[in-house]
Amino acid sequence: MIRLNHVSKMYGEVIGVNDLTIDLPDGAFGVVGPNGSGKTTLINLMTGQLRPTLGQVEVFGSDPWRHRRLLRRIGLCPATDVLYPNVTARQWVTYQVRLHGIEQRQCRELALESLELVGMTANMDRPMGTYSLGMRQRTKIAQAIAHRPDLLILHEPYNGLDPVGRYQMTELLKTWATDGKSLLFASHVLHEIEAITSSFLLIFGGRLLASGTASEIEQILADTPQEVSLFGPDAPALIHRLADQSWVESLQLLDDRKELRVSLRDPVALYSRLAEWVNEDGLRIERFQTADGNLTAVFESLLRHHRGET
Amino acid sequence: MMNPMLTLDVVKFELARSMTFGRTAIWFVLALFPVILISVLRLNDVPLDPVEPWGIMLYFLVPEVISLLGLLLWATPAISTEIEGQTWIYLAMRQSGRTYVLLGKYITAVLWTLSAAILSTTACIVVMGPAGGFRLWAVMCALSVLSCFAHASLYVLIGSIFFRRTMVTAVFYTIAIEYGLSFVPAVANKLTINYRLRGLLSNWMDWEQARSAAENVFGSEPSWVHLVVLAIMTMVLLGAAIIRIGRGEFPTQQEG
Repeated sequence: MIRLNHVSKMYGEVIGVNDLTIDLPDGAFGVVGPNGSGKTTLINLMTGQLRPTLGQVEVFGSDPWRHRRLLRRIGLCPATDVLYPNVTARQWVTYQVRLHGIEQRQCRELALESLELVGMTANMDRPMGTYSLGMRQRTKIAQAIAHRPDLLILHEPYNGLDPVGRYQMTELLKTWATDGKSLLFASHVLHEIEAITSSFLLIFGGRLLASGTASEIEQILADTPQEVSLFGPDAPALIHRLADQSWVESLQLLDDRKELRVSLRDPVALYSRLAEWVNEDGLRIERFQTADGNLTAVFESLLRHHRGET
Repeated sequence: MMNPMLTLDVVKFELARSMTFGRTAIWFVLALFPVILISVLRLNDVPLDPVEPWGIMLYFLVPEVISLLGLLLWATPAISTEIEGQTWIYLAMRQSGRTYVLLGKYITAVLWTLSAAILSTTACIVVMGPAGGFRLWAVMCALSVLSCFAHASLYVLIGSIFFRRTMVTAVFYTIAIEYGLSFVPAVANKLTINYRLRGLLSNWMDWEQARSAAENVFGSEPSWVHLVVLAIMTMVLLGAAIIRIGRGEFPTQQEG
């Protein structure tokens, strides 16, 4: 479905994405990466909005930059908001479909169908300036699916949705994926993607750090030193316990000596002994944070793995 | 293969979207200020004979000032507002989005400006009375049509190239080239839109005296030369804008 062959994109001297090689078959995939990791650049390359500085991009076998007809098969829901305050959702979605060159009457039907699918029928004749963020988000999804694309690309689609809206969106995307259509879902929140698909691309600093299922990525992480932070007034007192351990890579005192950051080759060894040390030495440790709760730390671990430092 | 119906649908959408209080108020201001000026002169009993100074003033106020101001406001930022508003990506993701949106916005800007220009011309001729006459009205309307189409193509091209400082660039170009260079007695002034419009004004109104007094301002070419040059300029400028929009890389949103 999507093939990137050693693709790099430069913005002047800034690297957007760096030597990406990806070969995705049809299916549902999550693109995970913190803000500024290169997700938008990747999406823009896949949708022909940017021309790669180096390498080749192919979507459904064609170069999206050269062949604009390909856009008929792609639906994009960008992260940016829609700011047409005096236009109704029905007018806007119909207009968007019309810009594909589809006949006017069919555009109206397709727009109505897609707005119904996202639960906007009751409000579709109101100006979009009166919509809540969640309603605008649903309208954005409607314009992305209205022309019945083969590939749906979503960028932070849960922005602004309340819990009910999130549930409905998840169900909609699950149905999309189970109907055999392809889906690419970019987010910086891992669990949003996990609800839809178990296949991920992890991007950081414009590089593809890992790809595969959640368990495959967990295996990579298991082989990679991970950072654990211990918080509390007695955190520095753990240094003499940790310094001698062979599974400790490095120790770092931060935040006015109240945070001890430990880089570990074997986190389980720490977990099994920490309670015992705290108890024996009578230490006050208030909080314990693993890399799992901090996506940036996971990405930094993967980046070290990617560079061959582990 | 162009699809005129699709262009028309973009125009309809853009007209509906642009029908706001603010834009309508500006439209009225543009249409009314030449009428107010002419009315003040008439109230002060400024003689209508000879009609040439009145015609030249009307030409300056309508096909030049109204057209240029209206198009600066509505044609120049046609693309940059979509880029700044981060809505460009929605349009650019459509198979025919880039080209037809540009064409549709171009025509919409022309319609807004031209309607103000024609209303203004008509009202001014009414205020001037029989001395103005149908001929002056018809010439001013024809020049407004030519001015709007030609200047709009110039401004959409400027807007598609300089989408970050669009207005500053367009205003600078207008002052330096269309008002500065167009009066310079050199070959370069023949490449300006205003020189061609002034040439047509003197030809169509048979103002030989004005032409012989300032040939570098009104030119000496026949009308068909001015019309062909204007048509070529309009097509080239619009074509360049379409190519630029079709093949350009534009910012879509904050990098994520």
